[in-house]
Amino acid sequence: MATEYSIRMGDGKRVYHDKKQIMDDLEAGIADAADLGEISGLSSDETERIAEIIMLEGRMVGVEEGKEVPVTHDISTLRIDGDQGNSGVGIPSSRMIGCMMHERAFGADTMELGHIDYSYKPVKPVIAQECQAMEVCQQNMIIPLLYGAMPNMGLYYTPDGPFENPGDLMKAFKIAEAQESIEKSADHLTRDMIWIMQHLMRSASDGVNFDTTGAAGDGDMYSTLHAVEALRKEFPNMYIEVGMAGECVLGMHGGLEYDGTTLAGLWPHQQAPLVSKAGANLFGPVVNTNTSKSFSWNLGRAVTFIKAAVEASDIPCHVDMGMGVGGIPMFETPPIDAVSRASKAMVEVAGVDGI
Amino acid sequence: MGMPISHIMTSGMSGIRAAGDLVARMQFAKNMRIDEAKKFVADKLNVAPIDLSDEFAMREIREDLGIGVITSVAEAPKGIAAKMNIEKLLDIEINSCERFRNQI
Amino acid sequence: MILLAITNKNIVGRKMSKEELAKELSDAIISCKKDNVIAAVEKARDAGMEPTEIIEKGLAAGMNEVGVLFERGKLFLPHVMMAADAMTQGVALLEKDMEPGESAKKPAVIVNGTVEGDVHDIGKSIVSTMLQSAGFEVHDIGRDMPTKAFIDKIKEVNANVVGLSALMTTTMQGQKEVIEALKEEGLRDEIKVMLGGAPVTQAWADKIGADLYAENATEAVRGVKEILNV
Repeated sequence: MATEYSIRMGDGKRVYHDKKQIMDDLEAGIADAADLGEISGLSSDETERIAEIIMLEGRMVGVEEGKEVPVTHDISTLRIDGDQGNSGVGIPSSRMIGCMMHERAFGADTMELGHIDYSYKPVKPVIAQECQAMEVCQQNMIIPLLYGAMPNMGLYYTPDGPFENPGDLMKAFKIAEAQESIEKSADHLTRDMIWIMQHLMRSASDGVNFDTTGAAGDGDMYSTLHAVEALRKEFPNMYIEVGMAGECVLGMHGGLEYDGTTLAGLWPHQQAPLVSKAGANLFGPVVNTNTSKSFSWNLGRAVTFIKAAVEASDIPCHVDMGMGVGGIPMFETPPIDAVSRASKAMVEVAGVDGI
Repeated sequence: MGMPISHIMTSGMSGIRAAGDLVARMQFAKNMRIDEAKKFVADKLNVAPIDLSDEFAMREIREDLGIGVITSVAEAPKGIAAKMNIEKLLDIEINSCERFRNQI
Repeated sequence: MILLAITNKNIVGRKMSKEELAKELSDAIISCKKDNVIAAVEKARDAGMEPTEIIEKGLAAGMNEVGVLFERGKLFLPHVMMAADAMTQGVALLEKDMEPGESAKKPAVIVNGTVEGDVHDIGKSIVSTMLQSAGFEVHDIGRDMPTKAFIDKIKEVNANVVGLSALMTTTMQGQKEVIEALKEEGLRDEIKVMLGGAPVTQAWADKIGADLYAENATEAVRGVKEILNV
């Protein structure tokens, strides 16, 4: 009987697969990415290398010495003080303590400050508090400290915002009206994000992280790219990171373009050049995990997409490797065996510049 | 919490325990890809790129250059002071340092 | 973006087969253009194709392909709705040739919403749109909806399926509460329960006794068709 290896399903459950099953799943995941993105699959050597990483003995694995990469952090300090379903562990603490814990206790390479809601829109009414928090943190921090939040354009639609919900309009076949609502929301969001970051840059932020860009579809990305462009023009030395929400930009509007390229339907290797063109320093590509497929399938698929993005990009790529992305199981406390294997594969096979 | 710590242990450069913050700064400040950023920082520190993740190699260098160490070292530059030394070392301008200087 | 151009060119010298006509109908739907669909429907009808064949083998097949192209990032939500609108127009043309009541028959009635405490709307709306475009009668009750709102709507429209969305681990419990309320109301055996949302998994669906878990909108359409056998 063939040796069986303990691996995970996409939802984190432990299963046992032999090498043939692992290779079959890897190849199927790679083929899925290559087919969807119309990109090259991985070579047989690269596929074999991922299989070796999956089958390594030991609960945790690590990259080869000398291949380490910076690990950037999103969701601010919410993973410490958050307790509202955002993967936080609910430890009462100030945000400055949270930032310093990341720097001094965990060994983080960069950090970000953020608001408990973690969207830009609700930051506007409390901007003075955010500026104060940034200034206090920057007095004490050494590692790069950005301000981070989600563009989250859904907050601009009824009932949360001033513009009619394009989902409702679309269902009523009011397509032009839905598109117009998306365009107005995008303009408003761009304006808000620029205004917020103008204040935070004056209050000593190193820069900005636009986290989960595109979560509300192509309008969300359109808005973010325009905010990046304006901020780059105003702050030439600002650190700007754009992290995505998923591997494919959802076409809610369908017709929005940036620099002559339709945003809807873009895959990571097509997103990277646009993010760079807008003026970002760092791109965070994302590939979502399918909870019904194995870790092997998900990792093969994710590495294929990310490798193509790394190759297409002219700025550093820090792959998003959180809960339910980058091959990591969709589980609030993702098993460490899967996290470390996905991390190693992304560095050694996809060639990412950071995580 | 296990997830970010797992990444740092698996792949990370350990921040100010070693030289991860410096490499990350060059990625952000000059759009440098990983190998270029490591080479740039290693040349500035006069070490090999592999030393940038080596806590032993970096501890004394960080202390000597006053660019911040992770434990309590009396009289060693911390926070904004350490970043001002990083500005000089890497020949970059850091926004928080610039804003602080403008307030003096 | 792929907007396939329909070819109205007849094959000279012979009558088009049903397969060719069905392909033309399907391509017309994929073009997302109403005029193309109406022309293709009229042509198929004039060629003697039965209305049910026109709908099932031509128009519905085209809508399935539209769903695939949406999933692959080749067609976008407005195109899906344009195709669905074109299909509705095409079916309307056939109504007078169909048995009374047959034309208006929807395969199922679905109530869809995001559970209470969760304000996420977009993914759920896409699922509603895709189900609607697949021919289901969909009642999207919105987001942050209390359990009672689901129950009331299910009773009001006599729903066959209820979709429960949750995007946060803390609000997934709301899905379980709706299922428990369905049991208390004596409705559970009459209705299929579908779950969705980023943190939701098949294991969670099994644990709380749902009938279907869907990873995305296309899977939701496929899954609902399977469990209802339509």
